Amino acid sequence: MADNGSSSTSAVLSLNKFSNLECKNLHDYLRTRPQNILEKLYNHPTICLAVYRELPELARQYVIRILFVEQPVPQAVVASWGSQAFSKEHVYVSKVLSELSVWQEASIPGGLLGWILSPTFKKNLKITLLGGGKPWSMSSALDTDNKARDVAFLDSYSLERWECVLHYMVGSQQQEGISADAVRILLHAGLMKRDEEDGSPVITRQGFQFLLLDRHAQVWHFILQYLDTVEQRGLDLVECLTFLFQLSFSTLGKDYSTEGMSQGLLVFLQHLREFGLVYQRKRKAGRFYPTRLAINITSSAANKSAPVLDDDTHKGYIVVETNYRVYAYTDSNLQVALISLFTELMYRFPNLVVGVITRESVRQALRGGITADQIIGYLKQHAHEQMLQDSRNPLPPTVVDQIKLWELERNRLTYQEGVLYSQFLSQADYNVLKEYAQTNGHLIWSHKEKRTLVINKCAHDDVKKFWKRYSKGS
Amino acid sequence: MVNVMKGVLVTCDGAMKQFLLHLDDTLKLGRKFIIQDLDDNHLFISADILDVLQAKIDDLMDQISFPLAEKGQ
Amino acid sequence: MGPTKRGTNKGEKSKKRKKEEDEAWVYEEEDNETGEEAAVPNAAARDAEKNDQNVIEDEFGSKDYRDQMILKPDNASRPLWVAPNGHIFLESFSPVYKHAHDFLIAISEPVCRPEHIHEYKLTAYSLYAAVSVGLQTNDIIEYLKRLSKTSIPDGIVEFIKLCTLSYGKVKLVLKHNKYFVESPYPEVLQKLLKDPVIQECRLRRNLEGENDDLITQVQEKKNVPNFTSNAPEQSGDGVTSVPEDITNFYSKIDNEEDDEENALETVSFEVNQEKIEVIQKRCIELEHPLLAEYDFRNDTINPDIKVDLRPSAVLRPYQEKSLRKMFGNGRARSGVIVLPCGAGKSLVGVTACCTVRKRALVLCNSGVSVEQWKQQFKMWSTADDSMICRFTSEAKDKPMGCSILVTTYSMITHTQRRSWEAEQTMKWLQDQEWGIMVLDEVHTIPAKMFRRVLTLVQSHCKLGLTATLLREDDKIADLNFLIGPKLYEANWLELQKRGFIARVQCAEVWCPMTQEFYREYLVCKTSKRLLLYVMNPNKFRATQYLIRYHERRGDKTIVFSDNVFALKHYAIKMNKPYIYGPTSQGERIQILQNFKFNPKVNTIFVSKVADTSFDLPEANVLIQISSHGGSRRQEAQRLGRILRAKKGAIAEEYNAFFYTLVSQDTMEMAYSRKRQRFLVNQGYSYKVITKLSGMEENQDLMYKTREEQGQLLQQVLAASDIDCEDERMPGEGVRHAPSGSKKIGQMSSMSGADDAVYYEYKKSNSANKHPLFKKFRY
Repeated sequence: MADNGSSSTSAVLSLNKFSNLECKNLHDYLRTRPQNILEKLYNHPTICLAVYRELPELARQYVIRILFVEQPVPQAVVASWGSQAFSKEHVYVSKVLSELSVWQEASIPGGLLGWILSPTFKKNLKITLLGGGKPWSMSSALDTDNKARDVAFLDSYSLERWECVLHYMVGSQQQEGISADAVRILLHAGLMKRDEEDGSPVITRQGFQFLLLDRHAQVWHFILQYLDTVEQRGLDLVECLTFLFQLSFSTLGKDYSTEGMSQGLLVFLQHLREFGLVYQRKRKAGRFYPTRLAINITSSAANKSAPVLDDDTHKGYIVVETNYRVYAYTDSNLQVALISLFTELMYRFPNLVVGVITRESVRQALRGGITADQIIGYLKQHAHEQMLQDSRNPLPPTVVDQIKLWELERNRLTYQEGVLYSQFLSQADYNVLKEYAQTNGHLIWSHKEKRTLVINKCAHDDVKKFWKRYSKGS
Repeated sequence: MVNVMKGVLVTCDGAMKQFLLHLDDTLKLGRKFIIQDLDDNHLFISADILDVLQAKIDDLMDQISFPLAEKGQ
Repeated sequence: MGPTKRGTNKGEKSKKRKKEEDEAWVYEEEDNETGEEAAVPNAAARDAEKNDQNVIEDEFGSKDYRDQMILKPDNASRPLWVAPNGHIFLESFSPVYKHAHDFLIAISEPVCRPEHIHEYKLTAYSLYAAVSVGLQTNDIIEYLKRLSKTSIPDGIVEFIKLCTLSYGKVKLVLKHNKYFVESPYPEVLQKLLKDPVIQECRLRRNLEGENDDLITQVQEKKNVPNFTSNAPEQSGDGVTSVPEDITNFYSKIDNEEDDEENALETVSFEVNQEKIEVIQKRCIELEHPLLAEYDFRNDTINPDIKVDLRPSAVLRPYQEKSLRKMFGNGRARSGVIVLPCGAGKSLVGVTACCTVRKRALVLCNSGVSVEQWKQQFKMWSTADDSMICRFTSEAKDKPMGCSILVTTYSMITHTQRRSWEAEQTMKWLQDQEWGIMVLDEVHTIPAKMFRRVLTLVQSHCKLGLTATLLREDDKIADLNFLIGPKLYEANWLELQKRGFIARVQCAEVWCPMTQEFYREYLVCKTSKRLLLYVMNPNKFRATQYLIRYHERRGDKTIVFSDNVFALKHYAIKMNKPYIYGPTSQGERIQILQNFKFNPKVNTIFVSKVADTSFDLPEANVLIQISSHGGSRRQEAQRLGRILRAKKGAIAEEYNAFFYTLVSQDTMEMAYSRKRQRFLVNQGYSYKVITKLSGMEENQDLMYKTREEQGQLLQQVLAASDIDCEDERMPGEGVRHAPSGSKKIGQMSSMSGADDAVYYEYKKSNSANKHPLFKKFRY
């Protein structure tokens, strides 16, 4: 058997699809935590409430129905609560509840399988729903703050802090820097990476995608990444998570005491302070104010019942013209930086930026890992009210088309690493190998008359073995 | 017996395929790189040429693009 | 003509072509002559763009003007920004848009005017134009300040002062058949008179010379002509809040235009008629260009002509506005009016002639346009055949005693021997003192030719008309001083919205090259490449599909192909009539008549002769299959062919279609984009169509099989070099006058005046008559 193909693999790296930014919701995050962590978390009524609120509606029904049942309920019985038409949903929510360790499988005398709520979860959910237990640790027994801060102040503070992080990512020079800790989180999260030459952090493909997310999703994603690193910092993940959930349920404009917080939590608090999730006048002020960024952080944006992050800066401010001109009504460096990701900027006026979308500017964004849809989505999301008068097309269709065409232009050719088999001695040989590759999903191209086929490279060894066996046999 | 070669399967439209054949014929990338011409939309090529090839295709696209918008005069 | 001659031409031609190919990226348009430069004042060379050379770029690469522009607290109710480099950005959705728009049109050049935010640019020329329509330095600065959301950069104030203070102060007025240099500023005239050259030009009737004083006179209130328009401008749309200083000032400026010179005291001195050109040139050198104004009401020497507008001639608001700019002070100002094709330029020309009511000379660029202008005069005015004289190679009406003479630029500038008859007419023409000269399609004529026209013919006032005053071309800048400033420029998108011109869907259809054609394309030499992408079978099929589609809708379609090989091949294959250079006049008329009136003839193919040499009938679909040159002007002009608004079609989203077919992955893509830029800046958008839906299902489109496509490829490969070229317009080559300059040949044949050029083709072609027309023969 000849193997004379070129076998350089280094260059082939460019084939691999870059991974895109993966955004987890609360459910996604928790189900990937180890069982013991979940168990610890469920010791806190707040977390149980947060988890409960984020459950699918049907799952919430199940939980409430069996909350006071002290023995396992046969699975068949649970299944029978809904009509057959919703069996899909039933299967799905059963899985969710198991993954989150909200309930567990238990055998019932007689060999049937049943469901029972995890005792810790059950106990603490009851507390949140019915009251009782210890007060949530964020006590508010404090003297009145003689320098109390109002909501408007907190909003502008949190915005400024958060934008600092974003500014840092886009390499804006006009802002104060961020802490080394924050940089480490960005690096850890893959939102930035060290430049190969000078080692300075530069934004990554995922970082660009991150920037184009809405604010709530950004904060949540960032905090999850942060949580990944807390244990390395010697902090207790459960403690931090618990605190975060408490913050999520706290009241905007109210101050809370830091009394009784562990050393670890105080460190955590300082981090949250840097990102703008809480406000403290001084490090040792003894009190802190949660900001809008922290409130409801654990509820997903899709959950409409939760008050969505009220974000005035996201009022439409971008005008896109049919001649590819972009006018952005803004004086925010960050917004300008974001637009400059895919726009060539020309002029900067006090309240307006003038730019133009060019093939080069879009290609630069595409090369940076931003997709055409993300660019279009961003422009749409922030379209100026004048643009919204044509409700069907808030953006000029030609510009939208062209941005997509520029993306397509880059994908005119697709590459797959593979192994080419040709010059089979007989049609039968060809057929056998083709059959094998096809049934195993390895075949990527074949031609009967030419007796030639290409298999996926990753299946090379497998196919090779098969072929050897076959050759010997025949 | 059978002939086995490693490489990259390229899937593309007819015009792009012709462009690749042209690059191969005229040794524009410094050497031959097409291992086998499979059909109208497929070629099998050496894996180590990819980056150079991609750059060449970018060149072609640059050539036939003209700035759509003026940036003022 | 013998074959040898043709052979040499061929060689030279292809060489030239090659050169053009190479240079296509560098040069704009075709006019890059290096003639003498027109005299322009130094101030005209000033460029606000240079104001910002030292400006810092911010971290995102934009020019950071923030510290030069201080935001006003009530910026939201003001409509524009003025950048230190002279670019102005105007919100079209502002409640004061109308005020600002009228003002900006007067003082600056539009750069782009799409839907929401328009860009203008202050230039020396635009400010010159502003002054010449009566705006004054302080008014310009003051109003700009009020309209702006921010403070006006100091450099801009300075620039406006520099460009306007000396402009527009001095006028050259012809009255009672004497030329006067006139000004409301005695000190300016005194300054000019200190110059020895100007001294020379001054005419002193009093020989004693004791009275060196200027003539002082009080100008009477002028009789401003009234133009009736069918849609009076609305006033008072005051729902939204408009800052008071803007409305007040606007009404001031608006009125001022009309009666600025009420009882104005002016001083003047008389000029020796023979020295007019000398003094004009000298004044430009002294930074006081003379504005030409014609006080036609006080001209008692030149007889009035008895031509009036018919009552049926009703002006549209923008036509009326443009004329008000021209006749704003009761005199006729010289200048250029820019209106899109199909927006009624000729009515503006006719109205101007009927207002001046002195002998009128109309210059256009082809014999067909001459006929058209005559028709327009007869339609809109009381002029009849006896009053209108045509002077072309075909039609030589008796000029003596005519009121209106219509001719072509080339007839006037012709340097070769003329017939005795033509010689006489020319002589007469040169002896006349024309009241008004209308210059049609001014942008198409090289500046050099203009200068020649202007030295041959004397006219009191000049009105240039055009659809596309492409500003990048310096030669256009010369027009400012040769004819006069731009008086008015309409906004295409606005006219479209108000239904004055058709709403056009522009589309660029991408046709993938077939593998075989693309393979050849990649290895071919430049000239053959053109033919390969034009003859791409997928393009042929797309054309056929579109034609069918629109024929079924009952549309009238014109297909343009600059390449004759393709033109003939497409037309013959699809059995459609076609017109190109060699098509005889008689046949052209027949084809066009059929296209107009025969319900069976709904599609015709034309070469680029149709751009200039004849008047295309109305159509609502235009398909370009080969438009090799990157001429934005040609693109705009072709679009103009379908812009004439269709009545009652207002309900549909689009009532006209403009397709450009391009072969993917070829240079044609770039050419196409280049052509579109002008229209894109007027707010047009080209939809890219990568796949015509339903085309694949159309079983009977031609060139479906690889065999057929292969045969076509063989034909293309066998085609000669000549076939690969675009059609030569008469005069484009170096065919005659081998010793004379190239330009002379061009001019003489610009109108198709010398039919002999096509003689050599004629015989071979007559066999190719379209079968459909055989039965319509007489």
